[in-house]
Amino acid sequence: MVEPGTLDVRAKQATRRWNLQGLMVVLFLALFPFLASLVTGEPPDAGRPKFWQGLLIQAYIFAVYALSYDILMGYTGILSFGHAMFFGTGVYATAMLLKHAEWGLGQIFLAVLLITFVQGVLFGLVSLRVKGVYFAMVTLAFAEAFYILSEATDFRRWTGAEDGLHGIPVPDFINPTDQRLRFYYLALGFALIVYLIARRVVNSPTGRVIVAIRENETRAATLGYNTFAYKLIAFVFSGVLAGLAGMVHALWNLNASPAVLSVNTTINALLMTIIGGAGTLVGPMLGAGVLQLLGYVLSRTFGPRWPLVFGVVFILIVLFLPYGIVGTWNRWRAHSSTKDKPSLSSK
Amino acid sequence: MRRYRAVLIALAIAVVGIGLVGRSMKPGTLVATLLSGLTLGALYFLIAAGLSLIFGLMDVLNFAHGTLFMLGAYVAWTWVQNPHGLLLWAGLVLAVAGGSATAAWWLNWSPDRRPGRWTRRWLVAVGVALIGVTAWQWLRWPQALTLLLAAGGGLAVGLGAFRPPVVRPPHRRLVWRGVAVVGLLLVTVLLDAQGPTLASAVAGWGSNAKFVSAIVVGTLAGAVAGALMEWSLIRPLYERPIYQVLLTLGIVFAGNEVARAIWGVGAKRMEKPGWFGQPCRSESLAAWVYEQCASVTVLGRSFPTYRLFVIVLGVLLFVALIVLLRRSRLGMIIRAGVQDREMVEALGINVRQVFTLVFALGAGLAALGGVAAAPFVGVYPEMGLEYMLQAFIVVVIGGMGSVPGAALGALLVGLARAFGDYIVLSGVSLPWMEKAVRMSPSIARASTVLIMAIVLMVRPAGLFGEEE
Amino acid sequence: MSALLDVQDVHTFIGQFHILEGVSLRVEEGQITALLGRNGAGKTTTLRTIMGMTPPARGAIFFDGRPIHGLPTYEVAQLGIGYVPDYRAIFRHLTVEENLHLAERRKGDLKRKADFIYHLFPDLARLRHLKGGQLSGGQQQMLAIARVLVPDNRLLLIDEPTEGLAPVLVEQLVEAIRQLREQTTVLLVEQNFAVARHLADTFVIVDDGRTVCQGTMEELANDPATVHRYLGVAVGGEA
Ligand SMILES: Nc1ncnc2c1ncn2[C@@H]1O[C@H](COP(=O)(O)OP(=O)(O)O)[C@@H](O)[C@H]1O
Ligand SMILES: [Mg+2]
Repeated sequence: MVEPGTLDVRAKQATRRWNLQGLMVVLFLALFPFLASLVTGEPPDAGRPKFWQGLLIQAYIFAVYALSYDILMGYTGILSFGHAMFFGTGVYATAMLLKHAEWGLGQIFLAVLLITFVQGVLFGLVSLRVKGVYFAMVTLAFAEAFYILSEATDFRRWTGAEDGLHGIPVPDFINPTDQRLRFYYLALGFALIVYLIARRVVNSPTGRVIVAIRENETRAATLGYNTFAYKLIAFVFSGVLAGLAGMVHALWNLNASPAVLSVNTTINALLMTIIGGAGTLVGPMLGAGVLQLLGYVLSRTFGPRWPLVFGVVFILIVLFLPYGIVGTWNRWRAHSSTKDKPSLSSK
Repeated sequence: MRRYRAVLIALAIAVVGIGLVGRSMKPGTLVATLLSGLTLGALYFLIAAGLSLIFGLMDVLNFAHGTLFMLGAYVAWTWVQNPHGLLLWAGLVLAVAGGSATAAWWLNWSPDRRPGRWTRRWLVAVGVALIGVTAWQWLRWPQALTLLLAAGGGLAVGLGAFRPPVVRPPHRRLVWRGVAVVGLLLVTVLLDAQGPTLASAVAGWGSNAKFVSAIVVGTLAGAVAGALMEWSLIRPLYERPIYQVLLTLGIVFAGNEVARAIWGVGAKRMEKPGWFGQPCRSESLAAWVYEQCASVTVLGRSFPTYRLFVIVLGVLLFVALIVLLRRSRLGMIIRAGVQDREMVEALGINVRQVFTLVFALGAGLAALGGVAAAPFVGVYPEMGLEYMLQAFIVVVIGGMGSVPGAALGALLVGLARAFGDYIVLSGVSLPWMEKAVRMSPSIARASTVLIMAIVLMVRPAGLFGEEE
Repeated sequence: MSALLDVQDVHTFIGQFHILEGVSLRVEEGQITALLGRNGAGKTTTLRTIMGMTPPARGAIFFDGRPIHGLPTYEVAQLGIGYVPDYRAIFRHLTVEENLHLAERRKGDLKRKADFIYHLFPDLARLRHLKGGQLSGGQQQMLAIARVLVPDNRLLLIDEPTEGLAPVLVEQLVEAIRQLREQTTVLLVEQNFAVARHLADTFVIVDDGRTVCQGTMEELANDPATVHRYLGVAVGGEA
């Protein structure tokens, strides 16, 4: 993030250019099913175009999830290792309400919103009292508690214990298998709307205070801001978004399994954020796409050993590309357009 | 004063809790549950102690600590199953170590002959390449050749990467170090020449000798891995703490996959040593000395003797660690460094070197915990993460940087786990309920998190931690 | 004669802030040099830069003719420079004796120096087995100075030793530092001009991260205008 004070005309022009480029990307993604159909000669809702849409749908879901994580890590500067808790809660709430209560989608949407909101407030009040790595460990422990409970045999009737819930009855009109094209636009629209909302929020006065907290919490506090409240807002907002991503994830995969609550799910958010570039909104979304693609390519090339390659790639990225794709790109551009070093945050 | 108050409160809660639960238990069951708790506590302590020291001294939250625990268990298992393979590979490690030790010694002897900057880079690159190629072709190319290449690689990396001291150490110390280096080289050559003989000798050992040597080998492997990890991956990132955490997370990821690739996904069983392995039940500890039964009668109930051993091991290491911290110069440096690293360095102490040492120490302890755990929990890829999470809870409760804190935290969490398991398995009955509700152990596992939350609410820095 | 410590046009950044913008100073062997300047002038940063804690971005530092800029802190110390920072940087959980032991650079350093140190600071001998955290402020300051006397340091950097101490203690401390002159060279940061005048042979004044002048203490004492201009505020504290 460029500090507000250093924004100048050139930066505004750059923003406008970004908007234009963003619009083109969205347009491309919106036309993608038909472009794919043109290229392959297959209909847009069958064969390879359908398969590719599937990859992209999952990427959109993770994009929202990663974006929600970056609001915490990149914007507020707090490292949570329990983000899977929100995502998993969204998944399980959706799956259980569909399977056991047969609620409608609108009701479920509201329910997920409410549940993750309450969850965010509760756990935020507790864990935000500690800072730094303590916060990371506390959130990790809370998420792990949820993971353990999701596997507990005591609740098999509702959660399916270690097997999870399968074949959840998604309404026919957005069934991801039969209505792939419709689902594709649903997921794309979902990602787009969340992005726009998030952009609105981070550019609002509240968002600026949150960034100020990241830069220097003591200073923000001495300026009279209740930093705890702002951090809580960021925590809850990020949690609710992750929960919504979880909801769409459940609709898309038609199941819920304990894996969505495991540490690996949190690590995924971290990876996407780091790869794409923390502290930007586009970065994590791009990271989600890259991760999805990388996972697909690596698993085809290296077979079952691909996570190993992946781990090594991750270590290399942390060592040599710490600002992620978007961050490195921004730095490079800033560097080539100005002589002196700009004050880019390193978080 | 506050500090002791917190400890007293924690102990009081533990005693009251045990008292309440224990009233409905038979004395034998109560003691057995207590002992189970202590066993778990001992294991948690071995992981948590290193985790806590490393964080206290260098502010690194080492997520890979559980991976080192797992490494200890796997290496011990391999040592018992197939000493041959392990010894063959130990030759490679020793050769590289010997080479770089020679380089370090030479740079100490004549600090002025340090190669220039670009030469150093080339040396590191060539050295790493050499070691890589050697590792690839190890056991394929002639032994003498690979041995020389590995040592040469180590030498080149050492010459390129090590800094000579600004002040030449005293002559006598240099001579002694030289003797040690020559000794290391000799051991390397000997191991390679006599490896197969040694391996078949080890394979013929009894289970006790195997176990004791497995403890040594596993701990050493953990310590070496820890030192290497700190030196190569963590050290470049001290300026970027968040990335350091992320990096250790990456090591967890890669480490688990490496374990799966080498040892497979299934759980392995490790034999208990003969001392705790006879299929019988001793009436008392005195009787156990002669019979060496797998279990012993405690207040009318049988309890595995191996677990008693784990408890003793935990207590011994706790005492050893405290003595090290209180009595040795290294301990003094650690205690001072936890408070003010920069000032320690201003006194002329190479803190980075101490970091590596403490990392190796913590890693060795965790690996030792892995070896000790292997005979009763098995060896499987997920064990690292599982125990590390408990260890995290332990250090948060105990306070980062404090070994007594880690011990107390481990005790609390271990007991909570054991009694929690007992309670949920035997059923919870509250006054207004008609019949007791039985639950699965998962509930008890999840509830340790609650303890942590409560402690953090009362004392955010943990029981023994210092508030900033 | 070349100086024991020679700082040449040093620039230091902390984060993105340009704190030192050209500090130069020379410390001659066997003398006490006072480093003066008002609060925030950059005195502490100068000492930390010499120690390698905030390495200089530009400029050079020579100790005994040997470049030390860019060396890690512990190596700077090993060359024979002792640092007493402006906060009481003693180790709270170590006893007085352990604090001193930690400063040993070779085995037996403390044994050789114990008499001298305990003669200089008799309090410390009495409190040997107390934890550092249990000492009073003045005693902590003495311990911090005693600590750099354990090894054979050739240069001591002492940052505001008398700050916040009772007058009796200040006297005691001043006397101790005066006795040090026979042993080592000292670069002393001191806000109390009377103390600096009493102790130092030469002075350096920094202001806004730059050296403004350097000379003998006598010259400075005869130049009230300079004293007023650069230190006037400092003597009475920040306005
Ligand atoms: N960590 C820091 N971050 C930002 N500015 C600093 C930091 N440390 C010191 N400064 C600034 O550097 C200047 C010099 O500080 P210092 O060397 O401590 O002054 P002195 O010791 O002469 O009072 C001051 O203006 C101070 O505000
Ligand atoms: Mg100062």
